[in-house]
Amino acid sequence: MKEQILRLPAEQLFQKEIDALIAAEHDPIPTGWKMSPRSVRTYICGGKVGKTVITPKYIGHERLVEIAIATLVTDRALLLIGEPGTAKSWLSEHLTAAINGDSTKVIQGTAGTTEEQIRYSWNYAMLIAQGPSQEAMLKSPVFHAMETGTIARMEEISRCASEVQDALISILSEKRISVPELNMEVAAQKGFSVIATANTRDKGVNEMSAALKRRFNIVVLPAPADLESEMEIVRTRVAQLSAGLDLNAELPEDNVVERVCTIFRELRNGETCDRSQKVKSTSGVLSTAEAISLLCNSMALAGSFGNGTISEEDLAAGLQGAIIKEEEKDNVAWKEYLENVMKKRGMKWSGLYKACRELL
Amino acid sequence: MKHPYIFGIRHLSPAGAWHLLRFLEEKNPKLVLVEGPEDFDEQLKNITHKDTKPPIAILAYTKEAPVKTILYPFAEYSPEYQAILWCKSNHRKCQFIDLPSEVFLGLPSEKNLDTKGEEGHMSVYEKLDLQTGEDGHETFWERVIEHAGNTEEYHKGTNTFGISLREITKGSESDWPEILVREAFMRRKIEEAYKQGYLPEEIVVVTGAYHVAGLLDEEAQPMTDEEFHSLPKSPANHTLMPYSNYRLSTRSGYGAGNKAPAYYALLWEGLCREDLNFTARSFLSRIAGFQRIHGTPVSSAQVIEAVRLAISLAQLRGSSVPALRDLRDAAVTCLGEGSFSAISLAVANTEIGTGIGALPDGVSRTSIQEDFYRKLKELKLEKYRDITIQDLTLDLRENRRVSSQKSAFLDLHRSFFLHQLRVLNVSFANQEVVNQESATWAEQWVVRWTPEAEIELVEAALKGDTVMQAASFAMKERVEEAENISEIALVIEDAFTCGMAAAVNYATAGLQAMAVDAASVQELASTAHRLSVVVQYGNIRLLDWEPLVPILQQIFYRACLILPAECVCDDAAGKNIIEAMEHLNSAALAHDFLDSASWLGTLKEIAERDDLNTKISGYAMAVLLERGCVDTEKLHLEVQRRLSKGMPAELGAGWFEGLAMKNHYALIARLSLWESLDNYLDTLNDEEFKRALVFLRRAFADFSAVEKDEIAENLGEIWGLNGQQVSEVINADLKEEEQQIIVESLDGFDFDF
Repeated sequence: MKEQILRLPAEQLFQKEIDALIAAEHDPIPTGWKMSPRSVRTYICGGKVGKTVITPKYIGHERLVEIAIATLVTDRALLLIGEPGTAKSWLSEHLTAAINGDSTKVIQGTAGTTEEQIRYSWNYAMLIAQGPSQEAMLKSPVFHAMETGTIARMEEISRCASEVQDALISILSEKRISVPELNMEVAAQKGFSVIATANTRDKGVNEMSAALKRRFNIVVLPAPADLESEMEIVRTRVAQLSAGLDLNAELPEDNVVERVCTIFRELRNGETCDRSQKVKSTSGVLSTAEAISLLCNSMALAGSFGNGTISEEDLAAGLQGAIIKEEEKDNVAWKEYLENVMKKRGMKWSGLYKACRELL
Repeated sequence: MKHPYIFGIRHLSPAGAWHLLRFLEEKNPKLVLVEGPEDFDEQLKNITHKDTKPPIAILAYTKEAPVKTILYPFAEYSPEYQAILWCKSNHRKCQFIDLPSEVFLGLPSEKNLDTKGEEGHMSVYEKLDLQTGEDGHETFWERVIEHAGNTEEYHKGTNTFGISLREITKGSESDWPEILVREAFMRRKIEEAYKQGYLPEEIVVVTGAYHVAGLLDEEAQPMTDEEFHSLPKSPANHTLMPYSNYRLSTRSGYGAGNKAPAYYALLWEGLCREDLNFTARSFLSRIAGFQRIHGTPVSSAQVIEAVRLAISLAQLRGSSVPALRDLRDAAVTCLGEGSFSAISLAVANTEIGTGIGALPDGVSRTSIQEDFYRKLKELKLEKYRDITIQDLTLDLRENRRVSSQKSAFLDLHRSFFLHQLRVLNVSFANQEVVNQESATWAEQWVVRWTPEAEIELVEAALKGDTVMQAASFAMKERVEEAENISEIALVIEDAFTCGMAAAVNYATAGLQAMAVDAASVQELASTAHRLSVVVQYGNIRLLDWEPLVPILQQIFYRACLILPAECVCDDAAGKNIIEAMEHLNSAALAHDFLDSASWLGTLKEIAERDDLNTKISGYAMAVLLERGCVDTEKLHLEVQRRLSKGMPAELGAGWFEGLAMKNHYALIARLSLWESLDNYLDTLNDEEFKRALVFLRRAFADFSAVEKDEIAENLGEIWGLNGQQVSEVINADLKEEEQQIIVESLDGFDFDF
């Protein structure tokens, strides 16, 4: 049955690694945690425990991971901020997977998220039939986390309306939820914390109140610092993702990854990697996450309709789809990029250039 | 063989200072030997003077140019400094034991001797960084050494570290021979101490951790007299000088220091209070305090969280005391909402600080420094001797309300003084440009005293014993090295602003000698311009400008003579000629003693000749017109002649452009001129018109709207139209279709003829 699940939670996907780390543990473990802060760092940043190789989950910016872990040790809430596709949710999932062995206490923030979803709500049939009772209460992931002394995740917190966000304020400072209907109060167990993620650049996000921000330790996740680390991230993630998806295609070669990352970085930063030329930026963010999905997409194309190797045409189709988000404007930027930058890059790029030109 | 106690330290290490003091208390030596040039012993009494406040530095500099310097900075928490203080308060003998500074300065060096040995091992430290996985060896040092638990641990830690560092670098460093020589000399000094009757166990040697193994080496021999005498030497002076935190922080590029002097001072304070986490608390509170003062609210709760985060970050690294890196990251996360830029100023202020050292008055200054301070006092400028930037406005005129001659011209003398410093490149005061009527008698200065300025001042000591002497020497050098006369003219100008008559005379003589060979009009004209300015403003600076008159006359006349010949040129060069003419003309107007007649004669010649650049001819005409040397009839004739059919369009229009560069009003007032222009344009065919258009457009480009109105009125009169209508057409922006037409008709038109 396990194979039927599209995406396994991190703690199941990396069960072996987590077990190995717990088995080899020799540092003190904070209350409510499954392993020591150092092992959490090893789990996220990679390393070796005994004979088990721990794959790096978050590449580059190791110090930010340390800050995040140290924050959770102090029982402070952690807010991960960054542009779309900078692995905020990814990091938060893996942090909870390593710390609690459970990354599933999640609230998905949307414009429609209500305060009840953060605190608790009721099974109304039962509420009407029996009146308020423990059984009729539907506890939110945050509520559960408080009871069990674990970490709850709040995804895309900035998409929620401001008043809903503010429901967290008292929870984070008092570390307790009161349920007036049952005349009871639940105090958080040791180990409780919240990891929230927020977007800075997307449309349709709400500003977070200063009061709420003060209750978080804020870590800003940047885009990968250089081409090499971005390629490394893309390569690792594409391999992991495609393994679970039966794409019938070979993994992209290095020069494919390199070209995609180069194009993305250049369009994102508005200049070529050697800084010799200015490039018009596109309306999309062109994050690392998009580069990953582009490559998986190309693999699917190659596997389903091609010979199983990503061809220039597959790549070109993927690129165009990812880059051109707003017809008019992005079209121009993409064309300019093709003519001014890619065309002049010589043999290695000429095939891709032609394939892209044909699609336009 | 028995050895003295050797305490290996890291320079500028608070923990080193603290543990060293414990070590000294315990061993109670009779003699303390400190790494540092032996001739600096003379400075010891000044270092321990009660009014001396670190950071200070000992600067040694060569007596002869090119200036080489070595610098030994001491902060409050320098182990060496604390050891020296300990000796003073316990009445023990203290000596420096490194090579004398004259040998240091005489050693052939590839690397910059500004830094102490440590910087040379950068590559080793880089290797170390990779192994420790921290962001840099600073953090490594801090965790391993600065936070060492007890004296024994520190002592052993640094020694082991120095020894292993030595193992890695042995022989491979470019300054390895230098290190060996230094250590041999230090052994020699230790031997000397034995000869004076000190027992090994009565001596403590304080030296960089790196040298510990070298001094303990059983096989190495002390330097012999012979060897010592064979070392190259270059004569050197040394002086104690105030230093600053800013200088100490490596950010300012003066190697020997540390990145965060103010933070290290906090570490020192924490050690003295025996409170391990004092540093973390006060560092973060200071950042919060800075933020509050500058308008960002930061709550105490945030500071508490930051302290907790810093501690848990340190624990991740297996340490209980946060290092600077942990503190900074905690501050970013908790106080800066995740972005460093939000707190960067606060961090700079808290890490580096604005601390500045002080020395008691008159302590071993070079004579030029003494002169400088005396002058500051005399000119009541002492309050500007401060690290903060201050404005100073000077009124050079005589202040008639005060009684004494001296105070009546106080500002003038201040100006002289500041200009002398400017000539010496001492960055104490910078002059701001004033664009007002007061420019002749007012000066605006921005004043800021920095240790850099002190160093520059000390370096200037090579040029003379007083500020004025040094400035005079500097100007003399410039005259001797000058390659053309305008450079010398600049020196003369400087000499005037410095109020130094002797230098003016010297430079004038140099100018005279060179002027004969000066060939280009531009050079002559700009020189004449400078001298003319000096003469014009000379009175306000109480200087006798008479000596300049003959040379100015001479240069001016030469310029008049060679000007016409230089007017055969293209428009690009013509621009410079016109600028030169402007300079000459204003000089001629300003001074009666200049030969006006020959100037006007030259102008007439240029205006009338047809074989010169027409624009210059037009400009010469304009100058004559302005000076009233041309009557309307003459102008009318000239316009007709220049703008007659048959003359190539660009020449005619170019002439008009030159004419229009000066005195618009004189042109506008002459209706006949516009009639001529109108007639002329009528005679042109389409192709010629297009060519003329380019020049004419340029000619009218800097006429104001009002002036254009008046031209419109003139043209209206000529064409029998309402002036206002014409004006509207002339002043209006082009409509799109008109622009289109112009673009189309000018398409393919070659503008570069």
